[in-house]
Amino acid sequence: MRRGTAFALPAVVLIAWELASASGWLSTRVLPAPLAVLRAFWTLSLSGEIWHHVAVSTWRALSGFALGGSLALVLGLLTGSSRAAETLLDSTLQMLRNIPPLALIPLVILWFGIDESAKLFLVSLGVFFPIYINTFHGIRSVDKGLIEMARSYGLSGWPLYRDVILPGALPAILVGVRFSLGFMWVILIVAETISAQAGIGYMTMNAREFLQTDVVLVGILLYALLGKLADLLSKGLERWWLRWHPGYQAADARA
Amino acid sequence: MHPYELELEAVALGTLVPPVNETRREPVRGQPRAADAAAKFPLTLDDEPASSGTAVATRSLSKSYGQRRVLADIDLRIAPGEFVAIVGRSGCGKSTLLRLLAGLDDADAGGITFDGATRAQDLRGHRSDTRIMFQEARLLPWKSVVDNVALGLAAKDGRQRALDALAQVGLVERAGDWPAVLSGGQRQRVALARALVHAPRLLLLDEPLGALDALTRIEMQRLIESLWQRHGFTAVLVTHDVSEAIALADRVLLIDEHRIAFDQRIELARPRSRGQGGFAQHEQRLLDRVLTAPPSTVAAEPVHADADEVLS
Repeated sequence: MRRGTAFALPAVVLIAWELASASGWLSTRVLPAPLAVLRAFWTLSLSGEIWHHVAVSTWRALSGFALGGSLALVLGLLTGSSRAAETLLDSTLQMLRNIPPLALIPLVILWFGIDESAKLFLVSLGVFFPIYINTFHGIRSVDKGLIEMARSYGLSGWPLYRDVILPGALPAILVGVRFSLGFMWVILIVAETISAQAGIGYMTMNAREFLQTDVVLVGILLYALLGKLADLLSKGLERWWLRWHPGYQAADARA
Repeated sequence: MHPYELELEAVALGTLVPPVNETRREPVRGQPRAADAAAKFPLTLDDEPASSGTAVATRSLSKSYGQRRVLADIDLRIAPGEFVAIVGRSGCGKSTLLRLLAGLDDADAGGITFDGATRAQDLRGHRSDTRIMFQEARLLPWKSVVDNVALGLAAKDGRQRALDALAQVGLVERAGDWPAVLSGGQRQRVALARALVHAPRLLLLDEPLGALDALTRIEMQRLIESLWQRHGFTAVLVTHDVSEAIALADRVLLIDEHRIAFDQRIELARPRSRGQGGFAQHEQRLLDRVLTAPPSTVAAEPVHADADEVLS
């Protein structure tokens, strides 16, 4: 019953939209009918064209995320764990953080041209800071009492890190991961609309040239879908890795 | 009804019931009344040869945090296997003394010897035969109960030893649970098992029962006493509860004005109850001594101010 209520509003909007398009009140140049969008999606998937674009975009997003994310994790762990590293690196990184990644696009085009490395660079940069900052704070906010206890029980070095510090920082790190997964698609959309020979962004920009609003909408909805998938993935990771955490157990019970 | 439960009830009701059987009250040290412990907390281990306790001695031990003097010229001798309780006002330095003994902090002056020798310890000052229990259980929330107890043990037989230790505190059936679902008393029992699994020769207890409700406290006191009698380690308990100190300790020390102001031997038969002859007198004498002492200037500070300073 509750589930039904949640979907009532989107259903009403869709029906109204379809009716408005069918009656000609809503021009297809502004917004194609939902059924037209569905038809476009069907044709594109039958031809296999859409899957090629999705694969290219996903590959860009994930490799950028892996690159920027792991770098952020390593640097966050470093500055979080060592005061010396913090003094050396943190203020520089905080300064860079205030530059919006998209403001670098002209520079990036000059550096990398318009090929893959430019997009990879932008996505890596975009996902870097949420993960870096949350890792840093996660490490710093690990319960000092637990660390003291573990030390007095003979743990030090890597075992102390593996058993106490990393798990303690994990909730914060995962918040960073979720945040940057959302940001990852935003950056990629912009990067792909500037210049690309494949990818969802290329597909939508290309469709715009030919006034194929239905294809444009398919592209937009694909981004929404992929973003949601990424979010589900990180939620799943949280559920699995933080299953000890009362906060996440409560969320589990509600769902 | 088991005499243990009778006593529990008596204390809970605040009634004074004379000891049930005076002649059974006196256990010989090192020969614990296993029946009592087993009745409440099933033991699965055969009684291991009791690892005897560490002899602890401090000489002119002093500690200040910044301008604030906490301990001055503490000279203390603790016999092997002795149960010593340290009482005092909040902020009197009793926890600091325990942290010095544990090697969590370094003294400004003076020294500590264990079994007559200066400390043999790892780089950070922790002795492998000394274990400490804190006021909070400090369990790792991301490890199951049994993995918490096995912390720092070799992986080979660590799990089995952890299960054995959990059996000693009566929690073996909760081995697979997360610490978050345990009650406060159960968490402290897990922390006790975690300390015991290393077969410590010196167990330091930093107000471990401070946050527990009255009934759970009494249960935990019984448990600590029976395990102490069984294993024969030296125990040092810091507490703000004078009657807890008298219930458990061979000796109660009062710290006041940075020094040991009072050193009282408690010769009552074990297990003790508040109704026992002599208990009330000891309690009154100690309380009088605590209350007549002028409130020290640091008394107004939060209890763990000193601990926080160390950690930051």
